[in-house]
Amino acid sequence: MTEALECQLLVIGGGSTGAGVAWDAALRGFQVILADRGDLATGTTGRFHGLLHSGGRYVVRDPGGARECARENVILRRVASAAIEDTGGLFVTTPLDDLEYADRFFASCPAAEVPVEEISPAEALRREPRLTPAVRRAFVVQDGSIDSWKLVWSCAQGAKQLGARILPYHPVTAIVREGDRVIGARLHDLRSGGDVEVRAQCVINAAGAWSGQVARMAGCEVAVRPGKGVMVAINHRLADCVVNRCHMTGDGDIVVPSHSVSVIGTTDTPVEDPDDIEPTAEEVAKMMTAGDVLLPGFSRSRALRVWTGARPLLPKTATVGDDREVSRSHTVIRHAQRDDLGGLISIAGGKLTTYRLMAEDTVDAACAELGVERTCTTAETPLPGSTGRNYYRLPDHQADFEKGRADNPMVCECELVSRSDLLAAARRNPQVQIDDLRRVLRIGMGPCQGGFCAFRTAAILHGQKEYGRSQANAGLRAFVQERWKGQRPVLWGQQLRQAQLDAWIFQGVLDIEHMPT
Amino acid sequence: MNTDALVIGAGTAGLIAATRLAQGGLRVLVVATGEGCLPLASGTVDVLGYAPGPVKSPLGALPGLLDAHPEHPYRLTGAAGLEQSVAWFLQVAAPLGYEGELTRNRWVPTVLGGLRPTALVPRGMAAADLGGGGEVLIAGIRGFRDFHPALVAENLCQATAAPAAAIQARAIELDWPGSAGDLVPFRLARRLEDAGIRRSLATQLRPKIGSAAAVGMPAVLGRETAADIHADLERRLGVPVFEIPGLPPSLPGLRLFDCLRRALRDAGGRLLLGSSAIAATHHQDTLDSVTITQASRPVEVSAGFFVLATGGFVTGGIVREPDGRLREPVFGLPVHGLAPGQQPFGDEYLSEHPLDRVGLSTDANGRPLGAAGAPHAVNLYAAGAVLAGALPWREKSGEGLSLATGWHAAEAILGCRREDVA
Ligand SMILES: Cc1cc2nc3c(=O)[nH]c(=O)nc-3n(C[C@H](O)[C@H](O)[C@H](O)COP(=O)(O)OP(=O)(O)OC[C@H]3O[C@@H](n4cnc5c(N)ncnc54)[C@H](O)[C@@H]3O)c2cc1C
Ligand SMILES: Cc1cc2nc3c(=O)[nH]c(=O)nc-3n(C[C@H](O)[C@H](O)[C@H](O)COP(=O)(O)OP(=O)(O)OC[C@H]3O[C@@H](n4cnc5c(N)ncnc54)[C@H](O)[C@@H]3O)c2cc1C
Repeated sequence: MTEALECQLLVIGGGSTGAGVAWDAALRGFQVILADRGDLATGTTGRFHGLLHSGGRYVVRDPGGARECARENVILRRVASAAIEDTGGLFVTTPLDDLEYADRFFASCPAAEVPVEEISPAEALRREPRLTPAVRRAFVVQDGSIDSWKLVWSCAQGAKQLGARILPYHPVTAIVREGDRVIGARLHDLRSGGDVEVRAQCVINAAGAWSGQVARMAGCEVAVRPGKGVMVAINHRLADCVVNRCHMTGDGDIVVPSHSVSVIGTTDTPVEDPDDIEPTAEEVAKMMTAGDVLLPGFSRSRALRVWTGARPLLPKTATVGDDREVSRSHTVIRHAQRDDLGGLISIAGGKLTTYRLMAEDTVDAACAELGVERTCTTAETPLPGSTGRNYYRLPDHQADFEKGRADNPMVCECELVSRSDLLAAARRNPQVQIDDLRRVLRIGMGPCQGGFCAFRTAAILHGQKEYGRSQANAGLRAFVQERWKGQRPVLWGQQLRQAQLDAWIFQGVLDIEHMPT
Repeated sequence: MNTDALVIGAGTAGLIAATRLAQGGLRVLVVATGEGCLPLASGTVDVLGYAPGPVKSPLGALPGLLDAHPEHPYRLTGAAGLEQSVAWFLQVAAPLGYEGELTRNRWVPTVLGGLRPTALVPRGMAAADLGGGGEVLIAGIRGFRDFHPALVAENLCQATAAPAAAIQARAIELDWPGSAGDLVPFRLARRLEDAGIRRSLATQLRPKIGSAAAVGMPAVLGRETAADIHADLERRLGVPVFEIPGLPPSLPGLRLFDCLRRALRDAGGRLLLGSSAIAATHHQDTLDSVTITQASRPVEVSAGFFVLATGGFVTGGIVREPDGRLREPVFGLPVHGLAPGQQPFGDEYLSEHPLDRVGLSTDANGRPLGAAGAPHAVNLYAAGAVLAGALPWREKSGEGLSLATGWHAAEAILGCRREDVA
């Protein structure tokens, strides 16, 4: 059975870019449909490092890109504060780093509009006692920690409130053309098994590292070169602010505090297929040793989990025919101008920090395509849930949790999730899976990696109308399999002990393998 | 310090070996970093449940297992030793009313509502064998996060693991009288000592029993006085009651730990908890002494015999370094089971991972081999989860292996002593 839908803008890809485009376009009064092949933010956006860039990383190498980050940083603190933890950041010169680079770094910040303040090594150590005592220079910047899931959901929720339709688990299987125009796309509904035919005045390809694949469905090229990056989460916060090495960028030189853990990253290795990005033991080992440079003893701390993301990088040559200014670190392609194919726009490159600007440029291009003039308002309009002051704070989570404590059993000790949190999330999304709850509530993200909470979650969901026992059994199996991929490369020392305890729970006590389907 | 036998580790294997040695007339000291896996475990003694298909009779399946895996620790005891160790265990664990046979596995419910094969169960799980089908009532406690009776009952009705007839299971959720705070296993167990609470639960339960042949409950029915609590509930309900063990910590496991500890004490053995073995001194092929930490200070303990029962990765008996190297930390014994360059993990979580079989190799007497392939020392034995060759959670052989090999190490030592005397 094929369902037919119509809209003005069909956005393909529910990462930060696509969700940002949907929000921007909905604010400008367009009728929008947003489709993703999986849940929202399960592409690169859900697998990134977590850094709200101050711009410091790029001041020397790419002052234009740094300026973009710095400006967007200020805007996002205003409109997306609920997704941001205002950790601040440090750039530190370690004994392995060139002192001369520190001078260039400091001198380049003002021109790139990156606020910076130098503090003494002693003051840096007072703020972050685990920092290498050999630190030679230290600079304070406006880095932050940003939760991409919260960000994407609030964009999607905002768009929805303005009438947009959000279609997760709807991969685009074909782009529909009529002569030299794209007139829509065919989606497959993974949950119902049916197809959906969407007619749109303009289709926006925001599929990130997959945008080349989507463009090919329309018969044209977007030359994204997926770049694989690896990140490792450590079981607690080794530093409370973002810690960067002050040098010409390398692998594993940033440690970002994210909720209850620290995340180190990253690398950049070109890959063919953005879906084939398994982390290797060597990459993990490299991250662990790299961490020691900034935070001595890092390599002996307990690594919980590894993941990789695929960067949607665009080589400069791909921007031929591009009508945007070249200094941008992202590219909007109007295929009408480049390939004589109307009704299709691709957006590629960029960073999460600049998602809003990318969306603005994209919707501007869509306005041009449709011949209308409507102004972007995302820089002034707070996202649902954000008030400009309400940064996320880790202790607030604890306080909220304690408030509702009585008669509300704790489901997940690592991340403080209660039964009522779980039921509320299940009400919001009746088709929810345990793995979706991981992204919403962080279930299974802590040290036990789901050993205790996965069973409780499955059983509590089972109490809900739409969640039968076979879903509970299958959900548990799917969840442990999903967790396994990220755990395997860090199974040594304490985390291996944990994994073997979990094996006893899942395969001994619960024996999920032999559960009826 | 000086003793006849020093046992390192207070898990099932260490406590079994030590108790047997103490009964045999040796002065025994057990040192252990912590309490081992028992207080986390289900309290059932699984001997062999899957090989790899479901096993009806552990004894019947043993020859096939040893053919397929000649390095399996059960080779040390064979069928005869396994039977003797189980017979001995049933006496030692008599206060908890353990029962079962090596020729027939029981199929007991999990908290998910599956059935899992096991050989020996305590009195509190005597009525839990649903391998023959039947009608049961599953009773949970509202607000207890680790037990969800509707899920247990629904899954039990579909159970395929049991060979025989169908199970009919119904669920009921009981209100805990005067509930306050988190309902966690230990608190529930302590509060159940109060007859008023039991009366309230029984009053809610009785009208729902109908034609059910037994009532299944979460395994929180008391600690020291579990036997009384269990008997009292059965009397009030008029049908057998069985416990369904769940997530750690686990009262049935803890009760067995308490019981084994008491048996050791009654036999004259001593237990030092919070004390780790850190180094050893040799004299030629004989182990002289082991250095332990006591109140954070090193103390040397000399002994005639040593048993290494430090468990697997979970308790630190075997350690994996970030670079993949495997280590036995007390004696630096070589860890076997993974060929050079072999991938330790498979892609599918629920599959066999080569790393899960690693551990110490031993000679036929249970003495761990050193780098040269001969026993590391003539008077050092190893037992339990520290041994190579098994896949305990997949085979369902955890406690059975530790029991059999712990008992076997003690017998080997007692045998040596008899030879020395003769
Ligand atoms: C390792 C790494 C670390 C990073 N760290 C940071 C950082 O700390 N700070 C920062 O600012 N930026 C960071 N970035 C960059 C940032 O994460 C990305 O630029 C950004 O998330 C890209 O978002 P996107 O929406 O364009 O792509 P994605 O999030 O990948 O979204 C594309 C979506 O398209 C969907 N899709 C694909 N094919 C189809 C189809 N056929 N039909 C429907 N949907 C489809 C995918 O499922 C996916 O959800 C990092 C990137 C990497 C790789
Ligand atoms: C959650 C869970 C559920 C389980 N469920 C079941 C089940 O249902 N059925 C079943 O049959 N089995 C089950 N098991 C497995 C079973 O409990 C174990 O296989 C068995 O108890 C292992 O006993 P062990 O004595 O060999 O080792 P352990 O119990 O691991 O004991 C090792 C001991 O050595 C000590 N130690 C380690 N290093 C040192 C040192 N250097 N110095 C001093 N002491 C040291 C430890 O502190 C500990 O006391 C379960 C296990 C777990 C964790």
